[in-house]
Amino acid sequence: MEITLSHYLVLSTILFAIGLVGVMRRTNLLMLFFATEILLNAVNIGFAAISRYYGDLTGQMFAFFVIAIAASEVAVGLGLLILWFKRSGGIDLTSMTSMKG
Amino acid sequence: MFDNILTILIFFPALAAMLGFVVDKGSIRSYGVSVAAVEFILSLVLWYMYDPNVVGMQFMESVPLIPSFGISYLLGIDAISLFIIILATFFTMIGIASLGETKNIKNMIVTLLFLEMTMVGVFSALDAIVFYVFWELSLVPMLYLIGAWGGPKRIYASIKFFLYTFTGSLIMLVGMLFMAYYYNQATGTWSFSILEWYRLVLPENMQLWLFAAFFMGFAIKVPMFPFHTWLPYAHGQAPTIGSVILAAILLKMGTYAFVRFSLPMFPDASVFFMIPIAVIAIIMIIYTAMVAYAQEDIKQVVAYSSVSHMGVIILGTFALNVEGISGSVFLMIAHGVVSGALFFLVGVIYDRRHTKLMSEFGGLAQVMPRYATIFGIIMMASVGLPLTINFVGEFLSLLGFYKQSHILTLLAGTAIIVGAIYMLTAYKKAFFGEVTKEENKNLPDVNRRELVALIPLVIITVWLGVYPKPVLGPINNSVEAIVSLMHEKAVTQDAKDRIPNPMVAKISTQNGGTH
Amino acid sequence: MEFYLYLALFSPLVGSLIAGLFGASKKTLFTGLITSALIFTSFVSSFMLLLHILGDGEPVHVEMMTWIATGNLYIPFGFIVDQVSVVMMMVVSLVSTVVHVYSIGYMDHDKSFNRFFSYLSAFVFSMMVLVMSDNFLGLFIGWEGVGLCSWLLIGFWYHKESATWAANEAFIMNRIADLAMLIGIFLVYWNTGSLQYHIAFPAFATLDSSTLLMIGIFLFIGAMGKSAQFPLHTWLADAMEGPTPVSALIHAATMVTAGVYLVVRANPLYDLIPDVGYFIASLGAFVAMFAASMALVNRDMKRIIAYSTLSQLGYMFVAAGLGAYWVALFHLMAHAFFKALLFLGAGNVMHAMDDELDPFKMGGLKKSMKWTWIMMTLASVALAGIWPLAGFFSKDLILEAAFVEHHYVLYTILLVTAFMTAFYSFRLVSLIFHGKERHKEYGFHPHEAYKFVLIAMSPLAILAVVAGFLFKGSYIEMVTTLLPATEYHLHSETTFWIMNIGTQLAVGFSIAFAYMKYENAKIDKKVESGFLYKLLINQYYIPYFYEEYLTKPYRELSSVAWKHVDLKVVDATVDMIANIFYETGEKTHVMQDGNLSTMLRWMVAGTALLLVLAVAFTVGYSVLVG
Repeated sequence: MEITLSHYLVLSTILFAIGLVGVMRRTNLLMLFFATEILLNAVNIGFAAISRYYGDLTGQMFAFFVIAIAASEVAVGLGLLILWFKRSGGIDLTSMTSMKG
Repeated sequence: MFDNILTILIFFPALAAMLGFVVDKGSIRSYGVSVAAVEFILSLVLWYMYDPNVVGMQFMESVPLIPSFGISYLLGIDAISLFIIILATFFTMIGIASLGETKNIKNMIVTLLFLEMTMVGVFSALDAIVFYVFWELSLVPMLYLIGAWGGPKRIYASIKFFLYTFTGSLIMLVGMLFMAYYYNQATGTWSFSILEWYRLVLPENMQLWLFAAFFMGFAIKVPMFPFHTWLPYAHGQAPTIGSVILAAILLKMGTYAFVRFSLPMFPDASVFFMIPIAVIAIIMIIYTAMVAYAQEDIKQVVAYSSVSHMGVIILGTFALNVEGISGSVFLMIAHGVVSGALFFLVGVIYDRRHTKLMSEFGGLAQVMPRYATIFGIIMMASVGLPLTINFVGEFLSLLGFYKQSHILTLLAGTAIIVGAIYMLTAYKKAFFGEVTKEENKNLPDVNRRELVALIPLVIITVWLGVYPKPVLGPINNSVEAIVSLMHEKAVTQDAKDRIPNPMVAKISTQNGGTH
Repeated sequence: MEFYLYLALFSPLVGSLIAGLFGASKKTLFTGLITSALIFTSFVSSFMLLLHILGDGEPVHVEMMTWIATGNLYIPFGFIVDQVSVVMMMVVSLVSTVVHVYSIGYMDHDKSFNRFFSYLSAFVFSMMVLVMSDNFLGLFIGWEGVGLCSWLLIGFWYHKESATWAANEAFIMNRIADLAMLIGIFLVYWNTGSLQYHIAFPAFATLDSSTLLMIGIFLFIGAMGKSAQFPLHTWLADAMEGPTPVSALIHAATMVTAGVYLVVRANPLYDLIPDVGYFIASLGAFVAMFAASMALVNRDMKRIIAYSTLSQLGYMFVAAGLGAYWVALFHLMAHAFFKALLFLGAGNVMHAMDDELDPFKMGGLKKSMKWTWIMMTLASVALAGIWPLAGFFSKDLILEAAFVEHHYVLYTILLVTAFMTAFYSFRLVSLIFHGKERHKEYGFHPHEAYKFVLIAMSPLAILAVVAGFLFKGSYIEMVTTLLPATEYHLHSETTFWIMNIGTQLAVGFSIAFAYMKYENAKIDKKVESGFLYKLLINQYYIPYFYEEYLTKPYRELSSVAWKHVDLKVVDATVDMIANIFYETGEKTHVMQDGNLSTMLRWMVAGTALLLVLAVAFTVGYSVLVG
């Protein structure tokens, strides 16, 4: 069986769905980061696959951008997370409601 | 220096206001008065240098701001704007000069000077974007004036004032943007210059939509019925100086904009909407006069009376002939002077008794004869007695509209009856009768500081009522230019018939040898 | 001559301003003297102008300066002294000179002495502007100016509620008529292209009759207000709240006749529309009788004279309406003299009686107030129209005009009114001056007025006697150069004599009857309980009707307009729109519970919604277009 673009896209969709569920359901901040990474990588797969399909390098270039941004996001995010842990002694999302409207 | 006199007029008060922050608290009042006086003298210089025989804009200045969209810093005035500018600088001057005991007087004076900048800016801008910027900026100092120095319900009043007028202006902005877009479609270039827009002949249905969009912005500012309800709150809560400037100048922005934008740009739409707008104007005149009659608070009487008179201005504007429009522009000045003076007068008694309820007064003519006399003169001007400034404007506005519709003018003419009813009743309640309240028995008469504001206003009221020519002559020439432009531009036959060509009318009169 | 014109016009203004400067300060006699002197100057100048007009008949016409000029409209401050205006100027300046001097005595003890003279002179100035103006708008300046002064003077004693109420009533009622007048002016302008008499009048002939009809009607409604014609008449009786010299000058001799002047002035117009003229005459006749009937029963001295004024104004309008303009003007002049005299006499009586107005509380005053008695009797005789006093010549002319023009109904009404006039005039004289001294019961100590006051009144007394036979000839000769010179001669001499002698006898009988009935001031209880008496004493319930059905509804409607419409509908709508946003925010802010998971869920839901919409629109669009 030949692996076509659709396969990649289906994989990407599945991953994205997993990530989305994770983002919505998880209450642990660390788990949320994992879910976000899954989301980003789902998109990356889509980019790379389509780029290859059209023979246009722009998609792959964007995938690299995304990787870079994901890395920096984790860096900043983890920093904040540690700070928060020090302050409140937990990284549970339900404890963070200071933005309540 | 006089090449840039308009720029100087606009930004001098703003710069002075910023410097005002560092001026010593004790001398801020004299600082403010001198700045405003210099500004006023500059505006008189402007009048002196203005050539009434030149048709079109004078003192033009142009600096490109965003050339790719045709936005430029374009200034210029004709007689219509000239006198409102003078009115604005004049009122700022006497307003600051007559300021009573005020907390944070430094902030007050700085605010007033900023307000002066925006007012002069609005009336001298010839680029729609520049106009819009000043138009919106003027809200900020006013918001601050009401919100910081107002009465007990000042927050509600100021927010209502701001949001209401702001909403209208946004719709106007959309209209402006669309107008520029359409201009681009028609000519291939971008321009926000009003003078360029004048030259564009629009198809009738396009005019109707654009007219409606601009109308929303202007009508709320005027304010026309049923968009007037922000005004009683704003006046009710604003400090005296705020009410004075609001009534005398800021409301004129709306009527001025009708003359500057709506009429010359959309002549056919003006004819199309003439009757509905006249009906609204008549509702304004009669209905608000009745509401004024029912008031218990003397400041509200004056506030509603101001709306009622604005109805006559609108009616004159939409007479669409030289007599009517000249009259309405003149009435803008007159209304500024008279309603400004009335708010000053209400402020005088409020300073003494800290109440504005007429039932608290009575018999004041006995205690404060000079005050009663000045109030009486200004009241008679407001009622529209001949030889006062208001009569000239009201007479011409109604005379002009009579050409368009007999029956509507008859209805609008009831202004002189209903106006007399609420004004005389209010005067009777406050000034006539015996002095019943103990607190009123020893009220001091108007003092020198108050006379500084009131005497010049009384003089102008009578002077321009007896001899309106220095103002009316230049206005007449500028209005003739607008009316002939409208006549030329009109695409429908109805509009051509409704808008007379002043030049043709002139020639026929000369041939007829009537004078 | 221009110098005299300006002098006649502006000296009252100067006087007014000088007196006005001292308006708020204590009584200073010289304000009274200076204003009187300046009004007298005005009178002398008017007299010089009269001589000039009598001499060569050339009207003096000046244009002082431009007032309003815009578009095609051109209105100057233009003044004209011609045969008509000079008559008015003479009347106005003469009566006001007398009234000014009289007031020095009358207002002697009033603390607002200076203010009074300022207003009074301002009134004279306005009246001069009114009669001298050469265009309709200039006339309107004077028209409103006299209205303003009337307002100031009726409400002169502003601490009195009734006075200020009457002042406002007069002003507002006049304003109603002024609106009609303005409309008339608009019509004149848009149809003739000018408001100046010398352009507008010749142009009237070229207009179609319906336009002329409109102009005529609207201008006349304006005249009705100022001259207090039915139904705008109620203010005149209430205006008697003002000081008595004011009633004499403004509400008898001059201002109220402005309406007649307007009709006379616009004679080229009214000549073209005889239908309107006939309406004016009919209304005039109606008012003459209507007002006289109210005067029959009233128990307020000044109001009786006020109704009499109203009635005489009706006579003038009959003459003017029938095209006998010069007769109207003649009666205007004669009436000004004897009615002003009557009021000034009444003022003396009021002073003597501590401002008592009910003649039933007086009686027998001829002993203590001989000269006032003589003068008021003279004035009443003149008013009744006994030969050879002024009223005979002017009033009989009106009757004759009506008869000659075959308006027999009008003639009969006027004739009956003439009997009523004689009756109420002498009812008043008899009650005040004859019979027992009833005032003693009320503790009054009447005294005659100052001597200079009496001397000031004497010119009026002389004129009330001689104005008729002395001036008639030269007056007719002068005025008819400008006004249509219709002679009103009865066809047969016998009819003339029968009519005149019959009228005189009947009038004499009325006088005698009035004397007899009221010398003892018996109040007939049976009459007083009758329906007719109630109707008359309540002024036909017209003031009641106005109060109940016009004033009150307006007040209530205004209150509704404010409290219910403006606050509860218009403003509430605006607030409702604002509240919709506000409430939406209130309701939806629970979405922002601060929990990141919840927010993320909302975000996902929103994205999903947008995706669905995007798909739906794309599909829908392609379906519609494809």
